[in-house]
Amino acid sequence: MASCILRNVDFVGRWKVWFALSALFLLISIGAIALGRLNFGIDFEGGSKFTVSGIEGNPTTQEARDALPGDLGEDAVVTSLGENGFDIRTPVLQDGQDAEVRDALAEELGAEVSVTSISPTFGGQIRAQALQAVAAALIIIVLFISIRFEFAFAIAAMLALLHDILITVGFYALVGREVNLVTVVAVLTVLGYSLYDTIIIFDRIRENTPEAGYNRRRFDQMANASIRQVVMRSIYTSVCTLIPVAALLIFGESTLSDFAFALLVGIAAGTYSSIFIAAPALSLYKAWQAGRTSKKVANTA
Amino acid sequence: MGSSRNNLIVLGLVVVLIGVAAYFIFFRQDVRDATRLGLDLEGGVSANLQGFQENGSEVTREEMEQAAQVIRQRVDSLGVTEPEIQLQGQDQVVVNIPGVTDTERAVELIGRTAQLGFYEVLAVAGGQQPVPAEEVEDVKKDLRAELEGDPAFEEGETQILFEETELPEGGGTVVSGYVLPAEPAVRGNALDSATQARDQAGLLEVQMTFTREGGDQFGDLSQRIVDNALANGTPGQGQLAVVLDEDVVSAPRIDQAIYGGQVSINNPGAGGLPQNEAEELEIVLQTGALPVNMEVLSVTTIGPTLGADSLRSGLIAALVGFGLVLVFLVVVYRVLGLVADLALLIYAFLLWGLIVAIPITITLPGIAGIVLSIGVAADANVVIFERIKEEIRRGKSPRTAVALGYGRGFKAILDGNLTTLITAFILFALSTGSVRGFAVLLAVGVVLSMFTAVAVTRALLGVVSGRGFGLSAGMVGVSKKSIASAGARDAERQGAR
Repeated sequence: MASCILRNVDFVGRWKVWFALSALFLLISIGAIALGRLNFGIDFEGGSKFTVSGIEGNPTTQEARDALPGDLGEDAVVTSLGENGFDIRTPVLQDGQDAEVRDALAEELGAEVSVTSISPTFGGQIRAQALQAVAAALIIIVLFISIRFEFAFAIAAMLALLHDILITVGFYALVGREVNLVTVVAVLTVLGYSLYDTIIIFDRIRENTPEAGYNRRRFDQMANASIRQVVMRSIYTSVCTLIPVAALLIFGESTLSDFAFALLVGIAAGTYSSIFIAAPALSLYKAWQAGRTSKKVANTA
Repeated sequence: MGSSRNNLIVLGLVVVLIGVAAYFIFFRQDVRDATRLGLDLEGGVSANLQGFQENGSEVTREEMEQAAQVIRQRVDSLGVTEPEIQLQGQDQVVVNIPGVTDTERAVELIGRTAQLGFYEVLAVAGGQQPVPAEEVEDVKKDLRAELEGDPAFEEGETQILFEETELPEGGGTVVSGYVLPAEPAVRGNALDSATQARDQAGLLEVQMTFTREGGDQFGDLSQRIVDNALANGTPGQGQLAVVLDEDVVSAPRIDQAIYGGQVSINNPGAGGLPQNEAEELEIVLQTGALPVNMEVLSVTTIGPTLGADSLRSGLIAALVGFGLVLVFLVVVYRVLGLVADLALLIYAFLLWGLIVAIPITITLPGIAGIVLSIGVAADANVVIFERIKEEIRRGKSPRTAVALGYGRGFKAILDGNLTTLITAFILFALSTGSVRGFAVLLAVGVVLSMFTAVAVTRALLGVVSGRGFGLSAGMVGVSKKSIASAGARDAERQGAR
């Protein structure tokens, strides 16, 4: 059984192995982002999106592209939505041009066309709001953990959160799914979840921390024991969340499926980071802090 | 012991709540109408507009409230069912109109400032040769240059506005430029009513009737125009400009003062006003001007088929996910899992009841919020059950283990759910429209799940672990072997200290 294998793992001591594994994923993620693989939707830049649904005759993306009036086909991004639908994304259109494109698509493809258009001003607002929301979330979370636990825990949790955000965004870049407002929501939700996981482990470490002063060997052993006590719970919790998320990914239409994809990657990364990043990072930070204070003591003496 | 009585009280309360929820869902109205669906699931138009002032000054909340009022009247005049008009933040308004897919018309109607003004014309240029549509802007530029050289033009005191008259059958556009005072002599609030009508030639026009006071103001203006024309040596040639939102809609010659009269907006050159233009003018003039200008930030049109597809796929996903979680809990926790499943079913039903009772509009992101909250609700049970299993492994009786598990697990659940709530609040505070639906449902779900996990599951477990049931370790998914090894580990841990 999984719990038997997990019982013998040294979570804290073998941090180099866990960090290396994460580093590999982070490298892939950052590489994908750096190569400009992120596929931004209209939410942040402004533009129009035409969702064509219920097409008959299963046309190709090229046919959908050709159905666009004028030379719009060259600038448009056409994504197939399964058998009978397309998402077509264009840059910002002029007044009334939305209607023209909609009517052209409806006529050429014989389908229902739904339109979303966002002005560049609004796109800028959404972008600012999204960045504010992520920044606010991170700051409030650090404060929250510092109050409920201590600053060392906040630092370790933060590291785990950054890890999760990078990997989520990186995988998004890797598979080329559209980044939009929903992605930001997903990232924030992942933050909440990953933090929840981390808190459950930290809560146990706090509960098990002996009254006696800090000692690295003792702290690491205690942290390992604490993780062992809650690791099955962490995994079960993730499974409980991942089951409905996977259902969204499989059955949901494009918006829900994009959202679920971000959550799937983020929650998986979050479970890993709570166990294999947050706890070892806490141990390392504690050790470093202890080393510094003892040096200070030595200097003053 | 009083706790068993408490358990029964909690369960009784739950039964009452279920009854209330059932009333809201099934009996207050037909169950199919119970849940209010958002535009993305039902189809319709949603527009987000931002108010701004021409001179760049700040838009106040009162102005936006007035604007929302005017917009509501205009949307009502479209004759649609249940439009939703909400202010958002300081200067934005969201208009949701279900069932309408003629976006352009709706948005034009909502966002049109409809600032009406009557001016004395100080100087005129152009207005002779029709030009093709693509040359209109160039002609305007020339006319502007010409009028800026006119002695009547004074920077700051006057303004230059244009009239465009499209001739029928591709005959081109006649462009005239006018020098007008900066402020109108009579404003739109002087109107009593505006109605569509036909003139003597049977052409469509919009007739405006003044209020008593407005009629007097208009009479004074016409008198002044006649007097000034006489003074300038051009008797009977003075012109009045009717301006709607920066466009001169007509500039009739005034040869005598008109008191208490009627004024009409018409377009005789092009065979009367087009039908839709006349309807729109009637509505916007009748409902009055918006106190601010409106910029359209975003417009979403969702077709009914797409909405229905989204709803179906979202529901399938939610139900499949929910079902699998129920199965998972039973596989891992046996009897405890069954208890958790019952609690989750109660949770889901109460959540539906809340959604209907408040009511919360369900949108696509809202469905995502509900699905996530299923995970949260299941998780609260997992945290507590793992604690209970742990206590049993340490050799406690199942009954004591249940009590201890709750005591110790609750703190972790509270901390964990607080983080989720923080995320939900940040999302709500810093976002607009659809994302809020997600945040609201996630928050409601988390709070409700705390109630069901902590109160309902606890009461159910209290009953199950009571004397009559004889709950054994194996029934909650703990093997004998692991009880022994946990004991050994505890000893090891003591040694390590």
